[in-house]
Amino acid sequence: MRGEDKTRVRAQVMDRCVGRWSVSAQACERILEDTLHEERKRLETAPDNALSAAQRARYDALQGVLIRGDAAAQRAALVEVVGAFFDDVVGHFDPRVHALATRLLPVALNGLLRTLSPLRLLDMVVGGSQARLGDQLVLSGHLDDLRALAQRGTIVLTPTHASNLDSVLLGYALHQLGLPPFTYGAGLNLFANPLLGFFMHNLGAYRVDRRKQARLYKDVLKTYAGVSIEQGYHNLFFPGGTRCRSGAVEHKVKLGLLGMGLDAYLHNLRAGRPRPDVFVVPCTLNYQLVLEAETLIRDHLAEQGKSRFIIDDDESTQPKRILDFFTRLFSLESRIHLVIGQPLDVFGNPVTPTGLSLDPRGRVIDRQRYLFIDGVPTSDPQRDAEYTRELGQRITAAWAADTVLQSTQLVSATLWAHLRASNPDLDLYRLLRTGGQGSQVDLVAFYPLLESTLAQCQGLADAGRLRLDPLLRQGDPMAILNDALAHFAVYHTRPALRRRGERLEHVDRHLILYYAHRLRGYDVVPRHVWR
Amino acid sequence: MNATSSTVPSVLVLGGGAFGTALAHILATQQRPVRLWVRRPEVAEAINREHCNATYLPGHALAPTLRATADLAEAVPQAQVLLLAIPSRHFRATARAVGDHLQGHQLVVHVTKGLEQESWLRMSQVLAEECCARKIGVLSGPNLADELMRGQPAGALIASNYDEVSLAMQQLFAGSSLRLYRGRDLIGTEVAGAFKNIVALAAGAVDALGLGANAKALLLTRGLSEMARLGVALGGDVMTFGGLAGIGDLMATCTSPLSRNYQVGQRLARGESLAAISAAMPHVAEGVWATRAVHAQARALGLDLSIVSAIHAFLYEGWSLPDVLQRLSSRPSGEELATMPTH
Repeated sequence: MRGEDKTRVRAQVMDRCVGRWSVSAQACERILEDTLHEERKRLETAPDNALSAAQRARYDALQGVLIRGDAAAQRAALVEVVGAFFDDVVGHFDPRVHALATRLLPVALNGLLRTLSPLRLLDMVVGGSQARLGDQLVLSGHLDDLRALAQRGTIVLTPTHASNLDSVLLGYALHQLGLPPFTYGAGLNLFANPLLGFFMHNLGAYRVDRRKQARLYKDVLKTYAGVSIEQGYHNLFFPGGTRCRSGAVEHKVKLGLLGMGLDAYLHNLRAGRPRPDVFVVPCTLNYQLVLEAETLIRDHLAEQGKSRFIIDDDESTQPKRILDFFTRLFSLESRIHLVIGQPLDVFGNPVTPTGLSLDPRGRVIDRQRYLFIDGVPTSDPQRDAEYTRELGQRITAAWAADTVLQSTQLVSATLWAHLRASNPDLDLYRLLRTGGQGSQVDLVAFYPLLESTLAQCQGLADAGRLRLDPLLRQGDPMAILNDALAHFAVYHTRPALRRRGERLEHVDRHLILYYAHRLRGYDVVPRHVWR
Repeated sequence: MNATSSTVPSVLVLGGGAFGTALAHILATQQRPVRLWVRRPEVAEAINREHCNATYLPGHALAPTLRATADLAEAVPQAQVLLLAIPSRHFRATARAVGDHLQGHQLVVHVTKGLEQESWLRMSQVLAEECCARKIGVLSGPNLADELMRGQPAGALIASNYDEVSLAMQQLFAGSSLRLYRGRDLIGTEVAGAFKNIVALAAGAVDALGLGANAKALLLTRGLSEMARLGVALGGDVMTFGGLAGIGDLMATCTSPLSRNYQVGQRLARGESLAAISAAMPHVAEGVWATRAVHAQARALGLDLSIVSAIHAFLYEGWSLPDVLQRLSSRPSGEELATMPTH
């Protein structure tokens, strides 16, 4: 964020958050009590350092204000807490570092991932080597529309979220498209990562501390995102929230942050801003192998529905793993597909490259009328939440249709369905643990199953409900299996499966399930196989 | 807290059938700004000239202030609320035509109790496919048009995900003989509306055959259970089926000789053919269409709905009435509540 904008944004965020929570003395007191309670709970497990000590002191003082202070003192405390939260979120931004990071990014990703030596990295930057990431990250979909709309309004890019590499790759892709860095909220743990942190911090990321559960903190985060959109900063939201644990295409989105697009549009209209439009662009990232797959599926299975909200010890925190991941993917010429979806307005209607909203029959509509009450754009929280819920549904539908299925997922889904069918009496966990009857599958029996699953996926692709990697489109089951085996052999601690003569051995069934989950929700394999 | 308009919204009722005309009449009687759209200009002229709808509501005088039109392009943009009372068979085409003139601020409510034949879609889903409307609602309940025209008291549910829709509808009908209750369960309300017409066919037959009050109560109760099972399987709220749009509508439709579907069931039981009945009735018996859609949908969902299956067998599979009754009575009965959806 530009320095001059930061001051203005801070003032607006302060104004809105403080205004919202100080409509009455009671509202102010309640939100401060909630903040005190949540923050003290967080600080109980925070490391003992100067920062924690300062925060504890701050909340001790706040407690004093809550006990003894009058309404004016409590409002002053609210201003102070909101200001502190804002500064936590936005951090210290240096435009010069930002410029350097932007220049570094295209080549540095490759450099970083090839070697951990800063000297080598510098060498590559100076040498201007455009290494191979550009070849392996395949961009497709509505690229031109995204570029065109970024000139006409503010973009909210809404990608799927599988890996901590997502934001880095998205940053790279946006640069390739000639777009400026997008503002986005990244988990605090990513800032601590020596490799990712540098880029996070300097490519428009603001800090989200997921340990902070206070409503006021979340309100500051949301409001900051909204105000930055109003100021014309393109934003990147991960509507699914944290990384998807199961490996499936996400089908639920969090609506709080997503709704800030509509909120910003409404504010822009009411303020009569010259470029009021906000466009939401769904996008999918598709990996043959996922850096953190082992940790994510373990977490998913450990307590289904009670996954750890924060994982700070996974593969993405180990530079060596990131290095291995990329160098090995590169060695296979593996493709990472990034698909830019059909741009939408904040109500979920498709938008033309010239910025016009269309109804389901392709007729041009005047989108601001969705916000009219008595002919004037007006806020109605219940209505607007419902619009955002519908937008969320359209985003998840776009994700499903723009998912690019690859060999590892197709092979895993076929194998998993076969394992379930062969062991009908075993529950999911027992099958995962034991592998059921025998740990090997005859290839002669497997190929027809693979062909059948592929044929169904081709049917979905023909209907526009799924995309296929070029290798899958070619339709040679032997080549597809070999590609999957080659991928599984190079990166994970143990391969998900491997070939033993004319048989297929399932080695890490957790990973098989993780990659198989990509087809969950498409009705390609019977639903019961996932339970 | 949500924002609402400060003025009484203007209404366009689409569809000059019995229910659409009755709703327009009630609103006109309440001095609401309302117009009635009908497909044929001569019908619009007749209504404006004679203040009655001779085809669908013979013998009832319409409010003299109620004006009819056949000009969609002129009428749609002027209305803030559109009330669609169009048979399910013509619903998509009308929604598409309305969509040519619609904008996103307008509220669209339908009162159609049926499902689309080929797609099994509910009418709100058809609307979402055919026009830009988001603020969509459904009005449903025990609302026999003849009684509404007489000003007799009645109640209905207005269900919408948008409070703006349900509040505006309550405001419009406030003070009239039709009392509206708000709800959020669009799916359950639409499923109930379509399903009750199927049970009404059977109820007419049960009465015509003189099977008695016990048999009728058995039919209605088990019919309600099947209705709720389908509704919940499609994402509806089981509580809706205990309300006006569920059991309320079922009671009126299955006990009143004014009900079209009930009449069709009676005549079928007396040996008349469906073709002959349809040819002689100006009204649409939605239950006949809904049976097909619901039967197919239940099968796809793996639901065993015995009453629907029995009516389907009679209407479309050539079974005789005694065979159908025999089939129903020979089924294992099991636990009564075992098949009820849990909340």
